[in-house]
Amino acid sequence: MSDLDKAIAQLRSCRPIPESQVREICHKARELLIEEGNVVTVTAPVTICGDIHGQFHDLMELFRVGGDVPDTNYLFMGDFVDRGFYSLETFLLLLCLKVRYPDRMTLIRGNHESRQITQVYGFYDECNRKYGSANVWRYCCDVFDYLALGAIVLGASSTLSSTMEPIDEDVEIEVCDQSGGTLSRFSRQRHRQRPDSSSSANGVPADRTGPPGSGASGSSGGTVGNPTGAVLCVHGGLSPLIDTIDKIRLIDRKQEVPHEGAMCDLLWSDPDEIDGWGLSPRGAGFLFGADIVKVFNHTNDLSLIARAHQLVMEGFKEMFDASIVTVWSAPNYCYRCGNVAAVLELSEDDTGTGIFSRSNGDVGRSKPPMLENGGLGNGPARRYRVFQAAPQDSRGMPAKKPVADYFL
Amino acid sequence: MASASSTAGPKALPKLPRLDLTAPHTFTTPVKRIHEGTDVSQFLTSLAYRDIGIFILQLNHALVPRQDENGKIRTFSLPNAPSSTPSIKALQELLETVETYIDEAPPDPGPRRFGNVSFRKWHELLDNRMEGLLGSGLLADTLKAGHGTAKQEVASYFKGAWGSSQRLDYGTGHELSFLAFLGCLWKLGYFNDGDSQEDGALEREIVLSVIEPYLSVVRKLILTYTLEPAGSHGVWGLDDHSFLPYIFGSAQLARPISSPSEPTPLEGSVRGAPRPSAVTAPQQVEDYRKSNMYFAAVGFINDVKKGPFWEHSPILFDISGIKDGWGKINKGMVKMFNAEVLSKFPVVQHFPFGSLFSWEQDPTAPTPTQSVHMANQPIAAAAASSSGTGTGAPWAQATRMPAATGPGVPYSRVPAGPSSGSLGARPQPRDNRSQGETSTEPQISMTKAPWAK
Repeated sequence: MSDLDKAIAQLRSCRPIPESQVREICHKARELLIEEGNVVTVTAPVTICGDIHGQFHDLMELFRVGGDVPDTNYLFMGDFVDRGFYSLETFLLLLCLKVRYPDRMTLIRGNHESRQITQVYGFYDECNRKYGSANVWRYCCDVFDYLALGAIVLGASSTLSSTMEPIDEDVEIEVCDQSGGTLSRFSRQRHRQRPDSSSSANGVPADRTGPPGSGASGSSGGTVGNPTGAVLCVHGGLSPLIDTIDKIRLIDRKQEVPHEGAMCDLLWSDPDEIDGWGLSPRGAGFLFGADIVKVFNHTNDLSLIARAHQLVMEGFKEMFDASIVTVWSAPNYCYRCGNVAAVLELSEDDTGTGIFSRSNGDVGRSKPPMLENGGLGNGPARRYRVFQAAPQDSRGMPAKKPVADYFL
Repeated sequence: MASASSTAGPKALPKLPRLDLTAPHTFTTPVKRIHEGTDVSQFLTSLAYRDIGIFILQLNHALVPRQDENGKIRTFSLPNAPSSTPSIKALQELLETVETYIDEAPPDPGPRRFGNVSFRKWHELLDNRMEGLLGSGLLADTLKAGHGTAKQEVASYFKGAWGSSQRLDYGTGHELSFLAFLGCLWKLGYFNDGDSQEDGALEREIVLSVIEPYLSVVRKLILTYTLEPAGSHGVWGLDDHSFLPYIFGSAQLARPISSPSEPTPLEGSVRGAPRPSAVTAPQQVEDYRKSNMYFAAVGFINDVKKGPFWEHSPILFDISGIKDGWGKINKGMVKMFNAEVLSKFPVVQHFPFGSLFSWEQDPTAPTPTQSVHMANQPIAAAAASSSGTGTGAPWAQATRMPAATGPGVPYSRVPAGPSSGSLGARPQPRDNRSQGETSTEPQISMTKAPWAK
């Protein structure tokens, strides 16, 4: 067993590894990450995950539900740290898995992967407490600077794969519970009765609600957007300074997250029910509306933007005719929000006729016939696995630590 | 401003002076003065800071169990009946009224992220009725001073005590505002019906019969509108919303004192007190939450949080391992409050200053030493030194220790090494400005940029 495998085993049992080893692994991770572009290309199948926030046991539950590494190919969209009790174990385990299985694990940067934010929201405090110094926090922050800003998923299938039973190729969305049972399925829009489509500006029934049973409140009823295949994954959202994915590629990312500008926006922005751009109540990034997403997806041949960054009680939320989805992977956030979590699975297109050939985020690469034919849905089929917080019984109580010096 | 009280011997804990209302006094509408991190050092030498400290320690001291000359011990539990003291009773009724607004503004059933937008409706009701709330009964008699200008000044603190309607959150800054509201009333002589009573009786009633009911209303607001913590270090903070109940609740269980001039004990528990470790036993928390404020606060955490206590509340968990009793915990809570609430820019930036809690400098204030935590600047944490000069005199007196020097977090932020000391008693240097601007309330479901105004 290599040192790395030992570290992985130790971290899997939720025990921190020695400072010297953290330093070594962070160094290796940096060497690996420096080679990655700002926008990593990932090939389906892939399981896309949202915020984790130090909820280590729930991450273990995520792996149980979504499959273990390296059997499952994972893409984590940032916010590994802060707020939870186990930011350190969580981030280090993900980082070790990245170093051990670089092609099966993609990590992109969230707004919490930053020196300034971790000092306010807990990760700094945690490292100090667990190691008695800020060294480990510094090593981790140095890795944060090298994390990619986004990822493009290619080769996602427009039909769902299943090992259990054959699935109608018309199914666009499937929602599963944590034991793999199907909660609900949704077929593509083109097979739907849309009596009121003429009254709706974008051809979408106005009264559509989310999939019953999933509890999703957004418009998860089926795609009518760009029927090409690439999926852009980014932690927050879009930026007014970024109209093409190539512009993301031009950013000099190896730095602390700036307070403004394109890099900041990608990690901080949120979609909202507005037209165009709006000021964000967060004080960083922007709000952007459906029109912005549609133009961006069209320009860049994207069928979907997957992002994280916002708590969704139902674990996932598709918005704007399923042109953008929020994936949230921290169940019962902060021990009290009562939300479920989700991961998004995109399966591999094995027909050879699918999405692969048409998209890598380059402008004007694809002109699929179906676009001209009225924009009928042919985006990737999506399986959401919804899961709850890990049971607590497995967690042993630690010894009480020395208290703050106020109490000495 | 005259000091009418404080007649006890020189060793006695100072009491918040009451205004001499026969002399002319100019009330002002309070305004915010703390605009950036560097302003916190000025706050820490202001009269307002001094008065907040005096008032908290005065209340704290009153809650400590008393032992008479025969060895008989009296402890002070949360009451289970309304107060018969008129001034206290009037405030209880005020709180009850405010609570009924919740029924008028039921939570919105529509789609939401976390905080419920109906909280804004509740705030609207409060705003619209504030005049009447503060303008009737006993309160009106006190607040008519200055031809209504006193009311305006005091109302600012009352209004600030109920969370943020914009951000749908609640935190220690709002709690501080309620304390200042009571402090204003104290200074205006509102609590004048207990002067004949034994020492500390009025203060006890203020805490147990006004502050705890206030906290109950706040907890109901938090539950009803799922208010978020206004400032969150995640699990690494003491509590998502509150601080005062941990101070006063630990005082309730501290070692008894035998005379009013005896200082607040720094260690030891009263006989019959639950062990500090009882905090981690849910059934014991249930048993004590009706009588003790510390346990009431922990009980509320247990109500809203799922998961192992040591995970979601590791700071309280570690404190529950303290061996030297509730006196020790009380001393630590007072110091921690000074460092983590009063010295933190994100918390005190919203505190407004008027004539009662004044931005004027306290001529007797020592130079603050904890410029480090107020700027939320752990990288520079090596700065604070234990120079022994202390910060606010009241804190130092209460804890018999230099107040809040050293790291501003509940464990050592200062790496061992030669770096500490030299910056000890100097104000925050200007070049830390970007860190000093660290502001804005972090939220549970939505991270806000610390650099946002």
